[in-house]
Amino acid sequence: MRHVVTKAHVLDVKPLTEPVLLILTSLADQPRHGYALIQDIESLSGGRVRLSTGTLFGALRRLLEDGWIERFEQEDTSRQKQAYRLTAAGRKQLQLELDRMKQLTRAGIARLRASEA
Amino acid sequence: MKRAYGILLRLYPRDYRAMFATEMSSAFEKASAERRQGRSVYARFALAELMALTMGAGAEWIAKLTTDSSVRGRSLPDRLLMRPPGVSWDAHYAGAFPSVPEEVSQAQERTELLVKRIIHAISQHDFTGARRYSDEERQARASLRSLRQKYQIGDTGGD
Repeated sequence: MRHVVTKAHVLDVKPLTEPVLLILTSLADQPRHGYALIQDIESLSGGRVRLSTGTLFGALRRLLEDGWIERFEQEDTSRQKQAYRLTAAGRKQLQLELDRMKQLTRAGIARLRASEA
Repeated sequence: MKRAYGILLRLYPRDYRAMFATEMSSAFEKASAERRQGRSVYARFALAELMALTMGAGAEWIAKLTTDSSVRGRSLPDRLLMRPPGVSWDAHYAGAFPSVPEEVSQAQERTELLVKRIIHAISQHDFTGARRYSDEERQARASLRSLRQKYQIGDTGGD
């Protein structure tokens, strides 16, 4: 049987941009609101990446559109505390990306070792 | 700085602003307070924020113009479609948009009614009637346009 690779499948395995990867990773353990995401991403990246609000909310809009995250209102908070959480599709994408990176890391390390030997 | 941020936020499409502007301003204020450790640190932060905001506005306009509204609706719901039945346009948008004078809303309703009549006439194969309603609709739309100009109201159908 012939397998047809559709555009959707190709898009599914497209590497994520760094801000998107960091946002998904930040939301993997718990929902967060905008400013909490900025702080957590800075801490996750060891202070290397500090997302500006323009970059963060642009990425959040695209992730909402893709259905990888969802927005909800946290109880006892104002509209300013709209929070974001991963959807099942977002979790799957993060897992796929981490697997891809793991495989790449393994291959890279193996080649480095081979060249040193 | 807060003022400059607010001005640049206005460059974004309206649906985007309705959804994110408050959150963005709030996050910016918090980040801004955290970065007041020295002039150079703050200046770098402010420059990065304003540049990202300007580029983000451009990217959002491109996204708006190139994305199908059904896809865009997943992240930015069309609030025109969310008006509950029985709630007037004015009541639903009170606070979100400036109130519309009675004269304008009547002209708008008349235009919408004529569009429905055209569609109904076409579905009944009454092409003579459809043409008549179409002429009336054209006149009603011209009248609505002049009323909007009179009250200095933008077209609510798009940005």
